[in-house]
Amino acid sequence: MTIVAAAEGATERVSWLPRRGRISWFEIALLLACAGWVGFGFAPSLQDVTILTFLFGGLALSWNIAGGYAGMISFGHAAFFGIGAYASTILLLRYDLTPWIGLVVGAFAAAIAGSVLALICARLKGPFFILSTLAFAEVVRIGALNWSSRTGGAEGLSIAPMPSLANMVLASKSGYAALMLCYLAFAYAISRGLEASRFGFYLLAIRDNDEAAAAAGINPLVVRTSAMALSAALTGIGGTLFAQYFLYLDPTYVISPELSFQFALLPAVGGLGTVIGPILGSFLVTPVSELLRSYLGNAAAGLHLVIYSFGLIVVMLYFPSGLAGALDKIQRRRPPP
Amino acid sequence: MSTILQLLVSGVLIGSVYALMSIGLTLIFGVLRIVNFAHGEFLMIAMYGAWAISHWLGLNPYAAAIAVVPAMFLFGTLVYRLVISPGLDKPHLVVVFATMALSIFLQNAALMLMTADLRDVPPIFARSIAIGPIYIKGELLLGFVITLACTATLQWMIKRTYLGKAIRATVQDGEAAMLMGIAVPKIFLITFAVGSALVGLAACVMLPLFSVFPTVGLNFVLIAFVIVVLGGMGSIEGALLGGVCVGVVQSISGYYVAPAFGQLFFFLLFLVVMIFRPNGLLGQKGAAMLGVNE
Repeated sequence: MTIVAAAEGATERVSWLPRRGRISWFEIALLLACAGWVGFGFAPSLQDVTILTFLFGGLALSWNIAGGYAGMISFGHAAFFGIGAYASTILLLRYDLTPWIGLVVGAFAAAIAGSVLALICARLKGPFFILSTLAFAEVVRIGALNWSSRTGGAEGLSIAPMPSLANMVLASKSGYAALMLCYLAFAYAISRGLEASRFGFYLLAIRDNDEAAAAAGINPLVVRTSAMALSAALTGIGGTLFAQYFLYLDPTYVISPELSFQFALLPAVGGLGTVIGPILGSFLVTPVSELLRSYLGNAAAGLHLVIYSFGLIVVMLYFPSGLAGALDKIQRRRPPP
Repeated sequence: MSTILQLLVSGVLIGSVYALMSIGLTLIFGVLRIVNFAHGEFLMIAMYGAWAISHWLGLNPYAAAIAVVPAMFLFGTLVYRLVISPGLDKPHLVVVFATMALSIFLQNAALMLMTADLRDVPPIFARSIAIGPIYIKGELLLGFVITLACTATLQWMIKRTYLGKAIRATVQDGEAAMLMGIAVPKIFLITFAVGSALVGLAACVMLPLFSVFPTVGLNFVLIAFVIVVLGGMGSIEGALLGGVCVGVVQSISGYYVAPAFGQLFFFLLFLVVMIFRPNGLLGQKGAAMLGVNE
């Protein structure tokens, strides 16, 4: 009896559409659909798109912790992505350390870099914060480009394409899809946990009014630094996974400003400071951009990005609160239970 | 000794050209309180325009300014109407993301139309000018003179003319300016268009010095951001000072360390200024809080 009652209580707390601090049926269904999509191996020709969609979904969620919840709009997250990717790859190539451990090392290295960035930008806001994060990533990129004894410089680093689970080089694309889905689910769990936690409320308080938050006894510097470190660590993990999937990395791509923009755009399209927003953003934008690239890439270089960026301008100007904002509107129209 | 002098002179000259390219950005920021992330792409388009005129019509790139500057003024008007003004009443981030998407748009449109080839114009001056032990590129010297003339004109315009006074009133208090009968949206539009026109002028000065390709804007916009923040956002003389600083840092570190590290040094300089003087070198107190979303 009690189990049934408890289960009923639990299901009552699960809402239909996504809401702050609650798991919704929508998300559960989405996750199951994704797992099914990977498990049954639907649309084998789209597997690259699937993999990137999941990976960028996780990366968008990671960015959202700093950018969405804490209001620290960073255009430098590619630095953390690159640090994660390079840390695990260098450890693998030089010291033969498995990326499963390299991933953790990379996450730590990225977290340290994130803390440094947060401390540099401690007093900055608005455009100044954004530009400093951009400059920070450029410093990391130029550093990686010129430290060629370790990073291979502009030539980049390649991982031998020999499938081995120990070295996180998977034989099949569906394996990678499952791996990226795990990453997405992990980032989702962290974000949901964050939303329900005290720390999550600190982040929102800092974002909305840091002076009032400080007056209420929250230390903005500590909260900002930890949020940036957490966001950077998760982004670093994404970097490792990316390196293990592409088996090649060079500073001009993995630490490019374009990549940083991408991390920021996905949550912005989906809805900043929500859990479902970054996921929806990636599920909508990544397939569109990848498919446009594969269909139009050969016909005319650049055409796919012209269409893609045009769409983004329209979305940004006319749906400024993103897809999650649209979902919220649907929800508000219903009478409260 | 003469090496140092040579490096300083080249640094100051190239820095002034960088400053010319940044004035539009700082002007737009000072008045509209927005950062135009597509600024580098405006420069790229204007450089292509100047290149097309000098390549197909056989004109001198400096003469191309007669067509490029008004064209960029119109282009600025168009962008303001279509992208900037619909986003102004929305959260601050909307304009940031919209201009960023615009920069991707323009970059790839250029890639489609012009391909990724590097385009340049033949040198204007056959030889460098020798002053004592120092050699000066004629193009750089001309750029320096144009920058000074342009800054002086702009200063005069802002201090003395009615439009300049209206702009300053808008900067000080937009609502009060509106109550005094200043059409603030019109001031915004004119400022954005003038800022774009200045980029057009900068492009004509820069074309003889640099080649143009679709992603050229990215390199320059990062330099422009550094300059604008160093000088204090919104300050025109600050942009000149910031430009000279960046130019000198680049030329000295490029000579003594390695050209590749030149960029590293001015980004580091930027971060150091952000840590210790977030208002910039000449910016007034509180400048670092401008443009922060209320």
